[in-house]
Amino acid sequence: MSTVFFHEEFPSTFEAMTVTLDHAVAALLREGWIQKDHEPCTRLCLEEALVNAVRHGNDNDANRTVKLSLADEGECCTIRVRDEGGGFCVDQVAFPETEQMGGRGICLIRHFMERVEFDTNANCLEMSFRRKAC
Amino acid sequence: MSEANDQIVDFTQEGRVIVGTIRTSSVLSAINVAEFGNEVVAYVEARPGVNLLLNFEHVDYLSSAVLTELLRVNKAIESVQGKLRLCSLSKVILEVFQITNLDTMFTIFDEDLDGGRRRFQRALEIQDQEAAWKEPG
Repeated sequence: MSTVFFHEEFPSTFEAMTVTLDHAVAALLREGWIQKDHEPCTRLCLEEALVNAVRHGNDNDANRTVKLSLADEGECCTIRVRDEGGGFCVDQVAFPETEQMGGRGICLIRHFMERVEFDTNANCLEMSFRRKAC
Repeated sequence: MSEANDQIVDFTQEGRVIVGTIRTSSVLSAINVAEFGNEVVAYVEARPGVNLLLNFEHVDYLSSAVLTELLRVNKAIESVQGKLRLCSLSKVILEVFQITNLDTMFTIFDEDLDGGRRRFQRALEIQDQEAAWKEPG
């Protein structure tokens, strides 16, 4: 069973994105999915996913929106980030060379989340993690 | 002596080491991360041979975009024959460097600011002593 406990959409600007990011982190804390100690790595994953959606999915076009939802799926919390772009294959994102300037966001998400995949039908990045107790 | 009022990084000279303290995590958000890089690169480029210790004590986390800016800063430091060291990294931030293998590219001090500054200063003194030995008598 999946229960969405947070949903927001915002125009593709970083200013709007940071507001939603703060709201989402607050919701995860309130619902007990993370504790304060775990906030940095969860915030990091959310930011990476949202920046990708704004920048690569929607080309920074403020007329396009990004949708973020958080769902309680029993043992796991699933974060879904949906943009209006063409999508990408998470598994084909290569680990960057040390001196490469970008391309590390997905690697970081893969490290901190238990599951990461891109649902091409829904044009949606999904990532899940288990409840983080103290 | 502090040079800045409303900058992202507060630069302070202590001996031969310039300490660059990043004010809070929020200044490294997607909105102003490029500004962070521009600010530090401009500072470095105006100071050939600068020995910069970037202090992360007020930073809870950093994204991949910040890593990209740090790579820019590192290149700028190399171009002016300076040195860059990082200190006061939280567990999560250190983990981010390790995951991305950037802990092999940057010199990261385990210590807090005081310890990192002393270590950097001492390394510079040793370097000077070695250079003096190599100078023709």
